Amino acid sequence: MPLQRPHITVDNLSIGWGARVLMEHVTFQVERGTIFTILGGSGCGKSSLLRYLIGLEQPGAGRIDIDGVGEPHRYEGVPPFGVLFQSGALFSSMTLAENLALPLSAWTPVRGPTARELVHSKLDLVGLGAFGEHLPGEISGGMKKRAGIARALMLEPNLLFFDEPSAGLDPISAIELDQLIITLSRDLGITIVIVTHELPSIFLVADYCIVLDKAAKGIVARGDPRKLRDASEIPFVHNFFTRSSPTASTKSGRVSQWPSRKATRDLASSS
Amino acid sequence: MSVTVRVDREGDHASLAPTGPFDLAHATAVSRAVEASEARLSGCVLIDVDLAQLDRIDGAGAVLLARLLDRLDAEGRAGCVVKGDNLEAARLIALYRERRVDRPAPQTLPMSPLARIGAFASELPGKANEALDFCGRCGVALPKTAASPSSVDWRSLPRLMQEIGADALLVTSAANLLVGIIIAFLGVSQLGRFGAVAYVPELVVVAHLRELGPLVTAIVVAGRSGAGLASEIATMKVSEEIDALRSMGFDPVRWLVVPRCLALAITLPLLTWVGDALALIGGLVATSVIAHITTRAYIQATVNAITVEHFLAGLVKSPFLGLAIGLIACGQGLLARGGAAAVGARTTTAVVLAIFSVIVMSALFTFFFALMGI
Repeated sequence: MPLQRPHITVDNLSIGWGARVLMEHVTFQVERGTIFTILGGSGCGKSSLLRYLIGLEQPGAGRIDIDGVGEPHRYEGVPPFGVLFQSGALFSSMTLAENLALPLSAWTPVRGPTARELVHSKLDLVGLGAFGEHLPGEISGGMKKRAGIARALMLEPNLLFFDEPSAGLDPISAIELDQLIITLSRDLGITIVIVTHELPSIFLVADYCIVLDKAAKGIVARGDPRKLRDASEIPFVHNFFTRSSPTASTKSGRVSQWPSRKATRDLASSS
Repeated sequence: MSVTVRVDREGDHASLAPTGPFDLAHATAVSRAVEASEARLSGCVLIDVDLAQLDRIDGAGAVLLARLLDRLDAEGRAGCVVKGDNLEAARLIALYRERRVDRPAPQTLPMSPLARIGAFASELPGKANEALDFCGRCGVALPKTAASPSSVDWRSLPRLMQEIGADALLVTSAANLLVGIIIAFLGVSQLGRFGAVAYVPELVVVAHLRELGPLVTAIVVAGRSGAGLASEIATMKVSEEIDALRSMGFDPVRWLVVPRCLALAITLPLLTWVGDALALIGGLVATSVIAHITTRAYIQATVNAITVEHFLAGLVKSPFLGLAIGLIACGQGLLARGGAAAVGARTTTAVVLAIFSVIVMSALFTFFFALMGI
């Protein structure tokens, strides 16, 4: 069987605004059909990286290539991937069914009963079958996220981006959402890229992860999150996965310093 | 390759073979093919579906096939997916069948015009109640403000006066200048017919200082700041900032509405005063250009025409008009519920109501002054 091309290839990407560089020399690949997570502390640039991946920002240096799409910021036409934004980003003046029907009416000739059937099948898929006529203001935060996923699925993409899907959800809603993500990946074969810092969710769903660090301005670790948790020697990564604070670790003698930027670059180029 | 569903029948046994691309791009054709095949299945009890001929399948195609199987099942016929070598299609169809939720048919009947009028009328008492409730809260806020001045965000007052007053100076001045020119043009053309061009300066003074100056300035400010204030407060309301204020023990009326209304009540007379001056200049320019009247004579006539009564009759309205704009804009903002659409709707209502009420109040002041003989 021929080796498949990676679904997303990010090569030596720099991100930031103007003179302010958030991250540099970011290099990674996302394999087709996997659940790939981008981890890191608050303010490290995870969500900014996502904005570059979905083509909302143009890279200053480096390159992003999505298989079959090319550079996302140059792409025009039927959106080749779905995006779930942090808040769900549903249009508040439309019912859930109207929210879902929007991409269909913009990009396909499907109308009438067929369109309604497709909309309701996606609502059923995310467990919101009974809420099609509700407005976003009338449903809970977890339901909004699921509705956001349903809308992201409307154009049958083979790639989905999720920005902090389980942030702000109760544990049960978060697990339900994680199970939905696993279903989407396993049953629909969709490649999923998730930006998050929710540890239980990461260990449950992720096949592969990269860990970003603000101080190092780049990727400090990559691999299976469960293995990184158990075996990583890098202090930041260890602290991240074991939820220990750097100062506490310093006192116990486990952590001496943050990884240097050079070390990060070496790590990035070695993989 | 075209989308078809081939039907082979043998007695009460039928075999369906979907062929071609069953994807979102061909969803309409898929839907039609599925319906056509369904029509040919009458009388069949055993139905097989062979997925081996499918060229391509995605969620949309799978849903349409899944619903066909659901309907066949519901009629008591045995639809059976032949997996063949297309496991992906079988898995997708199974997923959509498994997740299906039965929905009651929507029962929304179109409203008759009479019912719509009724629905609108039934909302009116609620709306009046909301407005009165807000007026009541504002009325209570005033003595409370005097009792505890720290409950008002005084620090925002200079910024608000800058935004509502100083930043609007250019547009209100331009509007007043043009209105002054218009009055003078009209005066020269109409009064000129009776040889009474000498009365044009007095016409500009009386018309503008007493009536049009405050009105034009207030309408411009109602459109500009009314929209700004209403959308600002409505956005705060829908993003729970107002709730946060209340939870911290602040009264949003005192914290937000009082400084805004005050800023409007202070700056609107100042803007009107500047506008009055510019309108007089506009009148002078227009009259000197089209009529044989010297600048010196015009200025002299203007100075003679300006009385304290004319000046004050105009200026005394302005703070009230400013107050009305502020109360309407903030009140509409605080009533916003929902999301982005509510912000837009409340802003529109605020601007319409503010402009309308400014005109009505101006008219009432005019009647009042006429009755009082001022």
